[in-house]
Amino acid sequence: MKRSLLILLAALALGAALFAGAYFAAHRASELCCARPADDLNWLQLEFHLSNAELARIRELHEGYLPQCAERCARIAEKKRELDALLGSGTNATGVPVKQAEIAALRAECQSNMLAHFVAVSQAMPPAQGDRYLAEMKKFTLGAHEKIEQSMSGDCVHEHPH
Amino acid sequence: MNIEDSKLSGWLRESRATPTLPPRFQENVWRRIEAATAPEKSGNWLDALAALILRPRLAFAGVALLLLTGTLLGAQSGVQTARHEAQLRYVAAVAHEFTDRQ
Repeated sequence: MKRSLLILLAALALGAALFAGAYFAAHRASELCCARPADDLNWLQLEFHLSNAELARIRELHEGYLPQCAERCARIAEKKRELDALLGSGTNATGVPVKQAEIAALRAECQSNMLAHFVAVSQAMPPAQGDRYLAEMKKFTLGAHEKIEQSMSGDCVHEHPH
Repeated sequence: MNIEDSKLSGWLRESRATPTLPPRFQENVWRRIEAATAPEKSGNWLDALAALILRPRLAFAGVALLLLTGTLLGAQSGVQTARHEAQLRYVAAVAHEFTDRQ
């Protein structure tokens, strides 16, 4: 009986090792095979079943949007550095709200341009795919902030009950 | 043995109490004897399973099944991971100021 138990345990260990080896090797291989870091738009074409013509139109929109986005991000980064400098010096406290308002305005501008880009891209897709694309982008970009805001407002209700 | 002795023996026999046996006494005794002499059941099925595993055909089939299942599940999971990473890359490219990665 002890011998049988040993055989069973050895078989189980060997089976687990074989399964895990095959799983991780295949996982790594397909991950490397499917990853195409050269082009950000490959995912769009695969996920939303786009034709080459639709992808070409979206690529045009994408390449037009990216430099504007980069420029706005650079401006936001610059304002953040200025805000950090103000907070670090501790002398000009009145300048802090002004700088925060400037950052908020730039972010709002950036966000409205981003949403306009999403809408333009979704309109270049077949309607059903366009709706799905918009929902996905909203989840990734605005959804995260909504969750934080909801959790924060929940905390405020607990702290300051009316 | 005189008459007195035989009388005494008779009285002694009569006075000895004979307890009544519980119901199904004999059946229960036999059942306990059988249980005590029977080999352990767990040993039996372990031996049978070990013998089954050691059969070459079954062993090869088991190894093939495990390798195939592992490969298929791993490939599927790898494709999903790659797609998710591609999605994150796209989102980071178009909206990095508004994603969790900032």
